[in-house]
Amino acid sequence: MTDYWRSLGELEGSPEFEAVRHREFLEGAADTPDGISRRTMLGLMGASLSLSGLAACRRPVEKIVPYVQAPEDMLPGIPQRYATTMPFRGNALGLLVVSNEGRPTKIEGNELHPATQGASNAFAQNAIYELYDPDRSRVVLQGGAEKTWADFLTYWKTLHAEHVADAGAGLAIVTEPSTSPTEARLVTLLKQRFSQARVVTWAPLGNENRQAGLRAATGAEIEPVYALDQARVILSLDGDFLQDDPDAIRMTRAYSAGRRDPAAMNRLYVAESTLSITGIAADHRLAIPSGAIAGFTLALATELGKLGVSVAGVSGGGTVFDAKWLSAVAKDLKANAGTSVIIAGAQQPPEVHAAVAALNAALGNAGKTVSYASAGTAARSRVADLQALAGDLKAGKIKTLVMLGGNPAYDAPADLDFATVAAKAANRIRVGLFVDETSAVADWHLPQAHFLESWGDARAIGGPLSVIQPLIEPLFAGHSVIEVLALLESAEEKPGYDLVRETWKPVLGGDFDKRWEKTLHDGVLAGSELAAQSLPAADMSTIAKLASFKAPQGLELVFLPSSVVYDGSASNSAWMQELPEPVSKLTWDNAALISKTDADGLGIHDGDLVTLALGDKSISAAALVLPGQAVGSVGIALGYGRTAAGRAGNGVGFNAYLLRTTKTLGFASGLTVTKAGGTHVLAVTHEHWSQEGRDIVREKDVAGHGHSAAGGHDEHDAHDAHDEHGGHGHPPLVSPWPERTYEEGPQWAMTIDLNSCVGCNACVIACQSENNIPSVGKDQVTRGREMHWIRIDRYFSGRPEAPESIVFQPVPCMHCENAPCEQVCPVAATVHGETGLNEMVYNRCIGTRYCSNNCPYKVRRFNFYNFTKDTPETLQMAYNPDVTVRARGVMEKCSYCVQRLTRATRDAKLGNRDMQDGEARTACQQACPAQAIEFGDIRDPKSRVTASKASPRRYDLLAELNSKPRTSYLSRVRNPNPELSA
Amino acid sequence: MSARATKAVVALVLAAAAPTVLQGCMRVCSSSEPPVLINFSMFNQPKYKAQAASAFFYDGKTMRQPVAGTIARGHLHEDLALVTGMDPDGKPLATSPVATDDALLARGADRYGIYCQPCHDERGEGKGVLSERAKVPTANLLDPKFVAYSDGQIFDTITNGKGLMASYKYPLVAHDRWAIVAHVRGMQKKNAEQQQEAAK
Repeated sequence: MTDYWRSLGELEGSPEFEAVRHREFLEGAADTPDGISRRTMLGLMGASLSLSGLAACRRPVEKIVPYVQAPEDMLPGIPQRYATTMPFRGNALGLLVVSNEGRPTKIEGNELHPATQGASNAFAQNAIYELYDPDRSRVVLQGGAEKTWADFLTYWKTLHAEHVADAGAGLAIVTEPSTSPTEARLVTLLKQRFSQARVVTWAPLGNENRQAGLRAATGAEIEPVYALDQARVILSLDGDFLQDDPDAIRMTRAYSAGRRDPAAMNRLYVAESTLSITGIAADHRLAIPSGAIAGFTLALATELGKLGVSVAGVSGGGTVFDAKWLSAVAKDLKANAGTSVIIAGAQQPPEVHAAVAALNAALGNAGKTVSYASAGTAARSRVADLQALAGDLKAGKIKTLVMLGGNPAYDAPADLDFATVAAKAANRIRVGLFVDETSAVADWHLPQAHFLESWGDARAIGGPLSVIQPLIEPLFAGHSVIEVLALLESAEEKPGYDLVRETWKPVLGGDFDKRWEKTLHDGVLAGSELAAQSLPAADMSTIAKLASFKAPQGLELVFLPSSVVYDGSASNSAWMQELPEPVSKLTWDNAALISKTDADGLGIHDGDLVTLALGDKSISAAALVLPGQAVGSVGIALGYGRTAAGRAGNGVGFNAYLLRTTKTLGFASGLTVTKAGGTHVLAVTHEHWSQEGRDIVREKDVAGHGHSAAGGHDEHDAHDAHDEHGGHGHPPLVSPWPERTYEEGPQWAMTIDLNSCVGCNACVIACQSENNIPSVGKDQVTRGREMHWIRIDRYFSGRPEAPESIVFQPVPCMHCENAPCEQVCPVAATVHGETGLNEMVYNRCIGTRYCSNNCPYKVRRFNFYNFTKDTPETLQMAYNPDVTVRARGVMEKCSYCVQRLTRATRDAKLGNRDMQDGEARTACQQACPAQAIEFGDIRDPKSRVTASKASPRRYDLLAELNSKPRTSYLSRVRNPNPELSA
Repeated sequence: MSARATKAVVALVLAAAAPTVLQGCMRVCSSSEPPVLINFSMFNQPKYKAQAASAFFYDGKTMRQPVAGTIARGHLHEDLALVTGMDPDGKPLATSPVATDDALLARGADRYGIYCQPCHDERGEGKGVLSERAKVPTANLLDPKFVAYSDGQIFDTITNGKGLMASYKYPLVAHDRWAIVAHVRGMQKKNAEQQQEAAK
């Protein structure tokens, strides 16, 4: 029997937790933020009502404003889809963007593009918010004064002539990593014009170590392309490949595909410091500090050598940690040589990446589970270049500094003091989406065009080439990076469309226009996937070099990419800030993640302010005790503590960049943690909505041994859903009223496969974008008022120092056939539809919240305030026109994306045909990279959802209540190594 | 009951009745102002809708033009003749590139009924409501001049308009325009048969 718990508070039965577990709405949830009680509020409202009169109560006049010149093939109200590409951390995500009358409103994956295969992630979904962010920079600024692009052009022409004269000796350009062929072409042109000019590429999370490691092992500029669907055994060394890898969407898809068949499942081992979603997915996880990974890799190589894998030059050494674990992993890797793979995390030093490449080659995995592709013309981040530039800036050698995108003044290593040295350049030009920390350093700020507003191109990992199609003309007269580069090079304005087409002419060759149009339409150039090169003779001696790494002493600090704001670039998105970080469930903050053992030793509790000191630098941050955190390791997410992000991102969290130096980009040893005194409120969502220890998540291992909260009866799993008794000695389930039969039309239903779900959050943001869900802010989240229609619960079991197993469970509305919420609504605002949907009629709702109290799944959300009342004009464009924007006092919840179902039904009817399975897809299902969600008509015996519901792993949540949910779950299956599970 | 209490009750009753009275007034009082709403109840939502006004864009429209040169999914015109009605030399196609079958004719009749009939009337004689009441000169599609038109010419007229007739490429996708061409041909054929019948 396994006891699941979701927080340390629950496990220990802390008084705070006991106080909230029995409440549907947290203490004070009905109070206003500034402490006015409900009664006072009613009094105030009565007063203002009598004073205001009726002048403002007239129905607003709406004008119909049609097209004057209507575009062909477009009907108002019928959305179009455009294929485009999102440049993403040195990768390119092929997207299909929904456009309502020429305004992009929703991001979906492009099923023709290999990097997304129809799925997406939270960052891609967030592109809509970023495009319409009301804080985006709107005008050209010179020293804070409003200017125009023409003014800048005049200014640049003078500088251009000067730099032509000195061959660009005093000119430096800082760009972001890019795989755009057009950008590469323009940089080459620029270097021809200004032969002495410096072009430096910098991103704080640039994956540089992996590139350097592969260079050391093979001598080639290559990048790995993993084929995880071919892998039977996967070992991740401090690598969160399901979340942080640039190629995470494709890797998640392949990883989940390898777990679909319980009879032939892959096995995942993870050794990591901070618990990640990859660690949660693991069959076996070993919590060790990031600084110990090098030693562990050496010990693994030694162990593999003993088993007969040829690892020349390795003569023992390394840190073993858990001999049984190491031996089991090594045996498994050896037994599956050729179908195993080792992946190292981006924060690990180049030596680890080189050794991993050598080990993959030694195991015969190269060319099978991992192949290598040429990096081509990609501009990749190099910290050494930035360091050299900072030195030259300090020495006054740089006259003109151009900062194209990125935010180096905020995220450059602290020892470079970039903001200060950049100010030494006489001319400082900055192109950016926001007037941010870097703009403060510049004298010219130029608004950058968003990728949804500009023409461009990009190459995905492994080679696929695609064009970036704009969805809308620039909202704020922005120019794209390629347009600015062309302007810098030639001192003339050139449209991006022409620049991209010029690059593509030699690529496409004859019949250009036809092939160009086909590429735009499909969103990827057919046949552009380069033949992946196999590993050119990995240098085995790189493994032995790991011996130079000493076992870490004392505490270390690991700099983690934030799963929600990444490096800080998504900081100003209220969607992303309010998205619970998948593991800690923390919103609107980052925290120093610390193990229970270390926290107990230091006397630290959740929310305590601590001082993190590394050498002479220190910051203050809130601590959060994270189960599964390696002892001796403290993790902190980058991207917080911004000062010029905008209204959502300013002053949120703690800036860890202040401790990060050129030498310690991944992690730093020698950390001291001291209590700083005082506490900080952390808005953590995971203690709300307790499930009272019932049988909510179920898992078993491939051999059939089950774990479930109630325990010991998983052999009933298969029947639960179908029997009349709700399982387990429950009296027969009898409904007090005649039950409805559903015999006509489509009957919608959903299944969620807990074995596929990795908890990546893509569905949550997809749902928020599709259904106009408001963000409510940190204060409201601490009161339990977050509005997400689908939440991802995660349950721990075992000891907090080393959780045995952790399971994610996405929970949308269950759409019960016998819905308890419907029985208690006094105004019939929630009713049952013909197609089995539990529907909300917003206009009828008077906000009694009875329904929410009676919902056993706690999936209903209440608008305590008019969260949407002051929606900025630009964000109004981001709303889905097909979905009501709810007002105060209205209950809302998952609708199974009823607007999508209606559209699919209507399209089929207009086309005079039957609806096909898969035609109606919910936003969460569409976005899921793991394909964990099936949705469709259960009256159709051939539909995928019917097949999924017939799975022996299927169970319904709280089936004993006879609510008959339409949403079912498939239990989690673990594939433990028998050697370790004993 | 004391006088004070009575007053309180009366005030309460009046207060309770006020919304009903107002609601009643909203229905029956004549006014040039828009009706009074006590509860807006999401009547006016802060979102951009089709055919609505925008305070942000310079032209006051929420609806934007697609960026020139972009191609939406499903709108790649690999066969140019199908969307222009012209051959590669720019001459109208003699016959429709879409094969005529019952489904196409049914679609054509349906679209014709919506978009063409108000002017050209049910038989195609140009005696629709608009020409009858507003005296708009309308082409008689059964006229030998139009019978002699090639399919491509009729398609081009629907696509780009002619004289007072507006362009219909916006509400009608290319396939629907070819369906209407087929329907017009059907009407002309039926008319010719009827005239032959009458001549006998």
